[in-house]
Amino acid sequence: MRRALTTLLLLVLMAGFGFGVNRFLGTKRHAQSAQTVVAVPSQTKPAFVLPGTLYLTQHGTLYRLNGGVFTDLHLPATGTWMQPSTVPGSQSIVAVLRNSAYSDLYLIGGWGQVIRKLTDNAISTSTIQFNHWVYWPRVAADGSTIYVSYDSPKTSDSYRVDFAVWTGMLTSKPTARELTVPYQYTGGDVQATPLANGQVLYAKYQISGANVFSRIALQTRPLALPVFLTAIDDDCSQPAVSPDQTQVAMICEGGTGLQGTRLEVASLTGTKLGTPRLLVDNCLCAAPAWAPDGSGLVYDAPADSTGHFQLWWIAGAAGPAPKLPKEVTTSLDLDALSPAAWLSNQ
Amino acid sequence: MYFLPAIGVALADTGHTIQRTIAPPPPSGGVSASTQTPQPTAAAPGQPFTVLLLGSDNDAKFSSDHVLTQSMILARVDPTTGHVVMLSIPRDLFVPLAGGGTDKIDKAYSNGGASAAVTTVERDFGVHVDHYAWIGLLGLVKLIDKVGGIDVVTSNPVLDDFYPADISGSNPYAYERVAVLPGPQHLDGIHALEYVRSRHGDLRSDFGRSQRQQQVLLALRAKAKLLGIADLPDIADAMANDFSTDMSIPQVAGLLPIASNVTLSNVQQVILAPPYSSSAQVGAQDVLLPNWNLILPEVHKFFPLV
Repeated sequence: MRRALTTLLLLVLMAGFGFGVNRFLGTKRHAQSAQTVVAVPSQTKPAFVLPGTLYLTQHGTLYRLNGGVFTDLHLPATGTWMQPSTVPGSQSIVAVLRNSAYSDLYLIGGWGQVIRKLTDNAISTSTIQFNHWVYWPRVAADGSTIYVSYDSPKTSDSYRVDFAVWTGMLTSKPTARELTVPYQYTGGDVQATPLANGQVLYAKYQISGANVFSRIALQTRPLALPVFLTAIDDDCSQPAVSPDQTQVAMICEGGTGLQGTRLEVASLTGTKLGTPRLLVDNCLCAAPAWAPDGSGLVYDAPADSTGHFQLWWIAGAAGPAPKLPKEVTTSLDLDALSPAAWLSNQ
Repeated sequence: MYFLPAIGVALADTGHTIQRTIAPPPPSGGVSASTQTPQPTAAAPGQPFTVLLLGSDNDAKFSSDHVLTQSMILARVDPTTGHVVMLSIPRDLFVPLAGGGTDKIDKAYSNGGASAAVTTVERDFGVHVDHYAWIGLLGLVKLIDKVGGIDVVTSNPVLDDFYPADISGSNPYAYERVAVLPGPQHLDGIHALEYVRSRHGDLRSDFGRSQRQQQVLLALRAKAKLLGIADLPDIADAMANDFSTDMSIPQVAGLLPIASNVTLSNVQQVILAPPYSSSAQVGAQDVLLPNWNLILPEVHKFFPLV
């Protein structure tokens, strides 16, 4: 009996010690864990309701946000869905479906029905470099001309892969014609944004010295030399043109050592940008997108040091007195490479 | 109290601590570098120290004890001022090796492990290295995943049609296509590895890659703010055979507050691009010839002489 009691006592002491050690080590963990639980958008509510309908992506899934409710579009899970973009004059969107060696464009109805596959970039399984990437689709105001970034046809004996801006018809051949000439071995030209006058804004990468930079460029004619709207040291990209075509929101990285960004807005007059106005400094801001009525813009940025991107809203971003940014979502992990596609309610 | 030694041993074990023992290298056969073996003396606590960070492709193409170091970053850390200098040493730099002969510096580790890599750097650059840390491909992936991913402003579209498919596939010589798109984003381990490992589509080749590697290290520094000492055994355990260092768990733990206190304005990044080096062909190898007249004064601005 005595032996049994001693054993029991020892077990209690050992368990107590183990618990104590556990608690002690627990206190040495940082209060905010590096690993955080990310919510599924359709199981959350935004902090406030934005007008119209936004399409957003998280972890390769496309969501519709309308009236404060996220809805999973339940698109086929055969790759990573990203970069939704509106089709003017309709409630449809164009989106990218990315696979391991290629990506394709799809035309999708507002509630997620796949209307049509627009490209076929899976060329070869044996010589994978003959496959193609297509990203950043943007449809012009006519609702039928599309602009994309596309890696030009290649040979098998070169390492070169650069994006150029290509254009074509939405429902026939989106990559019918090359519009820009990228600098070689830089990654090339991305994020095309068509203007009402037929010109195209985009971000052009170039290497200067030992560093790589991006500049907002304007393509006035196919394959012509571009007009640069920002300086090389500003390192700006992701141009988003306001609905009235008078303002350009952009993400600039100059002077941050690629450890942060700034969200800026500048007026657009002809082939010139005005002096940029700083909306958010010292952030990881990305993916600006204007509200359909131009009343403000949304963008992605982390809200805390876990680094997951949330949606933010700035009212009056085009005006002289923009409001402070307001966090629209919490606990999400939005794809910062996919600006929101924003449709007005009709 | 009888549990405490066991806890200590367990912590040390999960840290995969390796005591560095630098054996004198064999005669160097005409190599001009000094043959004097540096003493592995660690810097006193609180004093500035130098650490050699080594990264290897340790996939199935290589036997586990003969891997090259695709990444070599010499870092000088001053805990008092929070000043950090990171010097990327190009993998193709053609230098005298500690084990004898002259070859690409990435072969030093392959020939003689971490001690040979450390000795080669110490002799060729005339600096003292206090510690080293080596990480393999999967180690980096696991480390980044373990800290919940990193935030990186990727510099440009990093496109590579000849990226080695040696982690996921059965054929380590196969290729895959990689497209890391530009801009701020939250990267998991696999995609961060693609960003720091790809080089075929970059005009700057290995120099561009070195810059991206330093960038990811800085992003990891930001994550150090979220870690405590109790997280380290978990992390070390996850990296298993893909990480080694001559630092103990308490020493690594001591680095966490330093890393989190380092501000970006206090970080100096050095890349030995031309004119510090120049391309050449030696035998059948494409190499980089060091311009020591430029390199050494630059290095000794930041790293004390032996």
